[in-house]
Amino acid sequence: MIGPRIAKGCFNIAYLRSLPCFGNRLSCLPAENSSTKHTPNHPAKRTLKHAIAKLVFALTALMTLGCGETLPPAYKLNSVEFLRQEKLFLGSGEHFDDAYKQEIGSILTALFGTPNEPLVPALLGEDDPVLEVMRPENINMAAGPVSLDYHGKGGGLYRQHCSHCHGITGDGNGPTAAALNPYPRDFRLAKFKYKSTPLRSVPRDHDLTKVLVNGVPGTSMPSFGTLPDGEIAALVDYVKFLTIRGQYERYLMAELSNLDDGEPLIDLKLAQKYHQLAAIEQPTEQQEEELEEVEEQHLDSMWGVVGERLMEDAIERWVDADDNETEIPEAPDAFDSGHDGHRDFVATGRELFYTRGNCAQCHGDTGVGNGQIESFDDWANDWIKTPGVNPFNPKTYKTFTEAGALPPRPIKPRNLTEGRYRGGGQPEEIFLRITNGIEGTPMPATPALTSDEVWALVAYVKFLPYGDVNELPDRQINEKAIAR
Amino acid sequence: MKFYLPAIQQMLVIAICGLFVCCCATAVDAQDGWGTLKGQVVISGDAPEMPLEKVDDHPDKSICLVDGELPKDDNIVVDENGGLRDVFVMMYVKGKGADAPIHESYSKDDEEKELSIDNVKCRFVPHALFVQTGKSVLLKNSDTVGHNCQVTTFNNECNVNLPAGDSVPVKFEKSDKIPGIVNCKMHEWMDGVVLIRDNPYVAITDGEGKFEIKNVPAGEWEFQFWHKKSGYMKKLESGTYKFGRKGQAEVKISNEGETDMGQLEFPTKAFK
Ligand code: HEC
Ligand code: HEC
Repeated sequence: MIGPRIAKGCFNIAYLRSLPCFGNRLSCLPAENSSTKHTPNHPAKRTLKHAIAKLVFALTALMTLGCGETLPPAYKLNSVEFLRQEKLFLGSGEHFDDAYKQEIGSILTALFGTPNEPLVPALLGEDDPVLEVMRPENINMAAGPVSLDYHGKGGGLYRQHCSHCHGITGDGNGPTAAALNPYPRDFRLAKFKYKSTPLRSVPRDHDLTKVLVNGVPGTSMPSFGTLPDGEIAALVDYVKFLTIRGQYERYLMAELSNLDDGEPLIDLKLAQKYHQLAAIEQPTEQQEEELEEVEEQHLDSMWGVVGERLMEDAIERWVDADDNETEIPEAPDAFDSGHDGHRDFVATGRELFYTRGNCAQCHGDTGVGNGQIESFDDWANDWIKTPGVNPFNPKTYKTFTEAGALPPRPIKPRNLTEGRYRGGGQPEEIFLRITNGIEGTPMPATPALTSDEVWALVAYVKFLPYGDVNELPDRQINEKAIAR
Repeated sequence: MKFYLPAIQQMLVIAICGLFVCCCATAVDAQDGWGTLKGQVVISGDAPEMPLEKVDDHPDKSICLVDGELPKDDNIVVDENGGLRDVFVMMYVKGKGADAPIHESYSKDDEEKELSIDNVKCRFVPHALFVQTGKSVLLKNSDTVGHNCQVTTFNNECNVNLPAGDSVPVKFEKSDKIPGIVNCKMHEWMDGVVLIRDNPYVAITDGEGKFEIKNVPAGEWEFQFWHKKSGYMKKLESGTYKFGRKGQAEVKISNEGETDMGQLEFPTKAFK
C-alpha cells in the first residue's frame, strides 16, 4: 500500500498549526500584508485569499522539501480509487503519473494533517462552516496515539477503540477487517446505513451517536455505551473528519481525468507568480494588469480544488444534517397490538409485503431472506462495476485487492424471522428503514407507499418473528403474489 | 458550477444555508446565433456478439422474456449498417464550455419534455438517458412485477421501490462529468446508463448511430464522445476531426443551418 510520501521529518505540521486561520488554531483574522493591498475592501474575499495563500505556502513546503519514506502512522492513500480512475479513463496499461499521488497526499496533509497531528480544514477561520460540523478539541482528543493527558483524560480514542477494524484512515480495512462479515464501514464513501435522513443525506450527530452507543447488533460493531458522553462526541466528530477527508480525496482523484497531461491539481507555479507580482512595492501599470489577470486565474483554479471540491462538496452537506431529518408521522391506532383492528392491520402489512412493497422479492416468501437477489453492497459496487471486473472471478480483480480492496462478498437481505435489527428494533427505527431504504445496500426507499402503509409493514415485520402468519385474516392478495 | 471570487461572500451564505446556486448562464443576447450539431457514430470491425442476459431461472422469467425469448445484453447495440446506439455526445465543460450561453429552449420547467425511465419486460426504456440537473424524471414500472430503480452516478443517487404499474418522480441536483448506471436489484441483469448534468448540450445516438444537438451557440466548442463499454472514445476516427485523450474533438458550430460531423468510425476492438 502506498501512503502519501510525507514523513514527519520533512515537514512540521506544528508549523501549519501555528498559522493563524489555519488548522485547529483559530486565532484569526489576518493582518494586513502586501498580498491584500490591491484588493478592494471585501472581508470574505480577503479571508479566503489569505487561507489560500497559506495553503499554497504549506503545499509548496510539503511538495518541495524532499520527503523520504512514509513514517507511520500516516493516512493511507486511496489506491483503490486511484486504480479505478485509471481503469475508467485511461487505456489498458496506462497510468496516471505517480506525481499525482504525491500531490494528493500533500494537499490532504496540508488540509487535514496526519493521524498524530490532525488539522480541521477551517480555511475561513472562525466563521468556517466546518466548525459547525466538528470541534477541533474533539478531533485532537479522538486522534493521536493512545494516551492519557495530565488531567487523566483519554487521548487517541480512535486508535484505542476503532482503528483495528475501521483502519487508521477510516478505510474500513484495519488489521482485523478481512475476517469480519459484514466488513467494517469504509467511511470514505460517505455512506451510512442506520440514520434518520434519506439516501445521500449524511447522518445526524444523533444517528452516529446512537450507532456508537448501541453498536450494530448482529455485526461485529460493538457498543461503546460505557464511554463518557464527551468521548462519544469526540469519536462522532472524528468519524465525520475521516469521512470528509476520505470523500474529498475521492473528489480530488475524480479530477485527474479532467487534467491535461502533466497539469497539476493545484498550479503552484501560478501561485508563486501571483505572490511575486503581489509583493512588488510600486507596480507599473502593466504589472498591475498582469497581477489582476494572474490573480483571477490563480484564485479560480484554487477555488475549484478548495472551494468547490472541499467546501461545497465534502463539507457543506454536513452543516445542515439536522434539517434533513425524515419526519415520522404517528402510527395509526390499529398499530397498537391491543387495538381491535390490529390483526387486520398486520394482514394489510402482509399483503403489502407481497405486493406493492415488493419485499418478498428480496426477503423471500417467508421473510427468511432467501429472495432472488445476488447483489453486492455499494462499498463493493464502487469498484466491481469497473469494466473488466467480474466479482465472481478473483483473477479479474487481483489488481484491486492488491491495491487494498477487500474481496467482494454478496450481501444478503435480512432474515426477518429472527427479530434482530441492526439499526434498532423500535417501531420508529424500522419505519425509517422501510421509508428511506438502507443506504449502501440494495434495500430501496418506498416513496410510492403512504406512511400508513409503511406502518402496516412495520407491524407485519414486528409480527413475523413471533406470530403465526396463518392466523392472520385472509386478505385479497393479488394473483402474482399467490403465483410466487 | 463555476464561482468567481466576487461570488464568495454569496458562497459563504450559501455554504451556511446549504442552498444550491445555479450559475448557469442564462441566454445571452450578445450571442451571435445558434446552430445544430449532427453526425453519426458507426463501428469499424466486427460487431461484438452480445451474450444473453443472465436471467437463469429467475421466478419472474416469464415476464422478462421479449417476444418469447431471453433478451440479449443491450449495452452495445449496433444496427445492420454499423450505427452504434447509446453514444453520449456532450459539450466539453472544461475551460470555455463551462461558460457556454444556454439557449432558452433548454428551460428546465418545460413541462412538455417530460423525461422518464420505464421498466418494460425487465429492461430500462430508454436504455440511455440524459437528464438536466433539477429536472424531474419519472421512474415508471409498466411491468406486472415489482422493480426497484437504483441510479448511481459519481455525484447523484437514488434507490426507489417501484410497485407494479406505479411510478415515482425523482430529481437530481448535482452535475456529473460522465454517465452513471441504472440498476434493478431484483433483476441484476437490468443495467441502463444515465447522464446528469447542468450543461444541456448533450445528445445520445439513436438506433442508427445518429445524433443531433439543437440550438448550440455558434462558435468553436469541444464535444466529447463517451460509450459505456469504452469510456471516452479517443479512438474515434474521422477524416476531418481529431479526437483527444478525453474523447473530445473541436467543432466549429456555424450559425447558419447545420454543422454535420459526418460519419465517425469507432473500431470495435477499443471496447473494454
Ligand atoms: C470489531 C470491529 C469494530 C470495531 C472495534 C468498531 N467497529 Fe464500527 N463497524 C464495524 C462493522 C462490522 C460495521 C458495519 C455494520 C454494518 O454494515 O451493518 C461498523 C459500522 C460502523 C459505523 C457505520 C454505521 C452506519 O450507520 O452505517 C460507524 C459510524 C462506526 N462503525 C464507527 C465506529 C467507531 C467510531 C468505532 C470506535 C469507537 C468503531 N466503529 C469500532 C466494526 C467495528
Ligand atoms: C432489493 C432488495 C430488497 C427489497 C425490495 C427490500 N429489502 Fe429489506 N433488506 C434488503 C437487504 C439487502 C437488507 C440488509 C441490509 C444490510 O445487511 O445492511 C435488508 C434489511 C431489511 C431490514 C432490517 C433492518 C435492520 O435494522 O436490520 C428490514 C426490517 C427490512 N429489510 C424490511 C423490508 C421491507 C418491509 C421491505 C418491503 C417494503 C423490504 N425490506 C424490501 C433488501 C431488500
